[in-house]
Amino acid sequence: MEAIKATFFQECEELLADLENGLLALQDGTPGEDTVNAVFRAVHSIKGGAGAFGFEALVRFSHVFETLMDDVRSAKIAQTPPLMSALLRAADILADLVEAARSGGEGEDPRTHEMAAELEQLIAGKGAVAPVAVAAPVPTESNDPDFGFQPLAAMVFEDAPPPPAETVWSITFSPRTSLYANANEPALLLRELGRLGAMTVSLDDSALPDLESLDVDGSWLTWRISLTTDRDEAAIRDVFEFVDGDCDLTLSAGTEDAEPAFDVSALLAAIQSEPVVVSAPDPEPEPAPVVAPPVVSAVAPPAAPAQPSTPAAPPADRGDTHGFAPQATIRVDPERIDRLIDLVGELVINQAMLAQRVSECGLPPSSAVSVGLDDLEQLTREIQESVMAIRAQPVKSVFQRMPRLVRETATMTGKQVRLTTDGENTEVDKTVIERLADPITHMIRNAIDHGLEMPEARVAAGKPAEGHVRLAALHRGGRIVIEVSDDGAGINRKRVLAIAMQKELVSPDAQLTDEEIDNLIFLPGFSTADKVSDVSGRGVGMDVVRRSIQALGGRISITSRPGEGSTFTLSLPLTLAVLDGMVVDVAGHTLVVPLTAIVESLRPRPEDVRRLGPTGMVLAVRDDHVPLIDIGCVLGFRTTPPAPHERVVLLIETEDGARAALVADAIQGQRQVVIKSLEANYRQVPGIAAATILGDGRVALILDVDAVVSMRRRDAGRPLDPTLIAAE
Amino acid sequence: MTQTVLTVDDSRTMRDMLRLALVTAGFRVIEAIDGVDGLQVLAGETPDVIITDINMPNLDGFGFIEAVRSDAAWKGTPILVLTTESDPEKKMRAREAGATGWIVKPFSPDKLVSAIRRVAA
Repeated sequence: MEAIKATFFQECEELLADLENGLLALQDGTPGEDTVNAVFRAVHSIKGGAGAFGFEALVRFSHVFETLMDDVRSAKIAQTPPLMSALLRAADILADLVEAARSGGEGEDPRTHEMAAELEQLIAGKGAVAPVAVAAPVPTESNDPDFGFQPLAAMVFEDAPPPPAETVWSITFSPRTSLYANANEPALLLRELGRLGAMTVSLDDSALPDLESLDVDGSWLTWRISLTTDRDEAAIRDVFEFVDGDCDLTLSAGTEDAEPAFDVSALLAAIQSEPVVVSAPDPEPEPAPVVAPPVVSAVAPPAAPAQPSTPAAPPADRGDTHGFAPQATIRVDPERIDRLIDLVGELVINQAMLAQRVSECGLPPSSAVSVGLDDLEQLTREIQESVMAIRAQPVKSVFQRMPRLVRETATMTGKQVRLTTDGENTEVDKTVIERLADPITHMIRNAIDHGLEMPEARVAAGKPAEGHVRLAALHRGGRIVIEVSDDGAGINRKRVLAIAMQKELVSPDAQLTDEEIDNLIFLPGFSTADKVSDVSGRGVGMDVVRRSIQALGGRISITSRPGEGSTFTLSLPLTLAVLDGMVVDVAGHTLVVPLTAIVESLRPRPEDVRRLGPTGMVLAVRDDHVPLIDIGCVLGFRTTPPAPHERVVLLIETEDGARAALVADAIQGQRQVVIKSLEANYRQVPGIAAATILGDGRVALILDVDAVVSMRRRDAGRPLDPTLIAAE
Repeated sequence: MTQTVLTVDDSRTMRDMLRLALVTAGFRVIEAIDGVDGLQVLAGETPDVIITDINMPNLDGFGFIEAVRSDAAWKGTPILVLTTESDPEKKMRAREAGATGWIVKPFSPDKLVSAIRRVAA
């Protein structure tokens, strides 16, 4: 049962997504009965499952929601913008209730009741037949008054009502043809009736015509039953529930049964032994005295049509060999996948070690061992990619939560916002996706709260009153890039700088570039809101966003144009498990530089290296000058940088597009390495992103290129300005 | 003799619940995810009882029942519909389409088995 509950919540997530997508499509004016039906079904299915597990609050709310959707579906209620807005908000509440049910609470709060009341008003307002009491079991018109199923069911299934006194009931039961047409079977009903108490049955075949004029699909028989039971009338009627309207049924209490009867158990025995031919000629050798065997056999023609086709097919014998719907997906415990990924990581390391040992033996590359090892490497890489693909998922799951966030934030801030998303099918490792939700949430809140202007201000600036926030995901150079952009006012640099100075985050006489000012918002303790707002002021600043992104091995950067808006760009590794790197030697240490950062590697000519200031050096690369940074100095391996032209230089590009030239002593080669967290196993080290184990079994550090560049920048005070060098 | 029940429902939760209840009660269960799928399954199986939801994509319960009943091979096979509440209108429509009986959700395993017993030998 718990497993089914888990399935239910999983299904709820899908249904809620369908619901929201459907409503959004309707809101955008996409017409379509199918969409309305899909929305209705989503609510309906959630209600159905919720009922099965007894989530009362969820059932109550989804019932109202469903009733309204039903009216929308049957066009009793027009699809107006206010209605769509109410439906979308109702969908949000529904999602909350599902979440509450999942975490064990009921989750009904004033908002739920307000929303339910609003929905009911919509239902009532449009002349629906009856305003629905929330949990009323019979929601629509009752055009069949004697069709009282609910109370009957309660009697039967919720066990013994008090009166234990036995009553003798006289029942006459005359099926009509429609009873047989719907595959109901009088004998089975009689069997059910027999469960209520002692019973005698007689058959009235007086209406039965001659064999020649007999219509086999017709209905000719009437049963008279005398039943002695302690159950009440409702329980008896309940047996005939399915055939109500398909038969003539009379019921009276008291003994007027002078009727002849025969032993019904004998008939039942016959049915059970010969399930197909219901009334086999004379299977009961000791029939009741009055009803003669020939009559029973005459029953056969009219009863048989009920089961005309099944005689020769004992179904269960077909076995389980086919017919099961194929399973399109399988569910696997994530821990198993994590374990597999760990193991593959070890395999990669092991394979690298083996390759190194073999090469140390001096075997020629054409030797059978070397060729075999090449194949092994190929296979290892493929296994690794396949395993990583298991965990890859589209970012959709995170993106889907955002429309709701935008709606809520827009309502809170009084702004009008339109959200568009791109690339939601971009796939990323599941572990990355899970940790993306919070930063994206915060960036979007930030874009609406701080980025977009109020509608009036926008109109005054000649922009549409409705602001636009765009959320996009794409793959770029082996990484995933997430962009959140708005068409708001852009960063108010004057104000940002003033605040930063006021909070003593920068010195009062600092001269900062626009880009540097923009990046001030990532500083801890910085908040641009004059007063703490409902929306962004939750004690979480952009510095927290930046840190959580960095913890994922990612970067965040911002570009902003006054009056045109800002774009936040997140760049993250596709997986947290492996990395393609360049292995280099620096001052006797082995380091790994992420390949994605490296533009090219070169050995500089002496004349391309120029001094700048007392310690600074730049490298002329074609028409450009880039700062030269000695990795050994930055990391504290040595204090005096070696002459760059005697070493190798890695030309790298940071996330914000800045270039730098890193000086290393020698390049060992390119290798795929398995990332081992340094933070988890040791502690965070500035300039170092993580660690890995190399083929020879030694630990090597993975360089955090951006950090190295910014550490160097800080040391040098001001970033190098190429124009100065050109003037030199 | 093991009886086979075909369950037709677009909700995975509901299919799982039906399967649990039915298998526990000794039935063999085959499944379909909507009316169209249900008809396809019937091409290769001969269930003793069919249980179908009403609200489904592609082909809903009413359409499915009508299609099943219109095939002479299935004329006598009992069909139970799953309804969420005892909505008389819906039941009447199901019956007009050819349904034998109905099961009101949420159902207990007892309720389910008792409904099946009432329509299948």
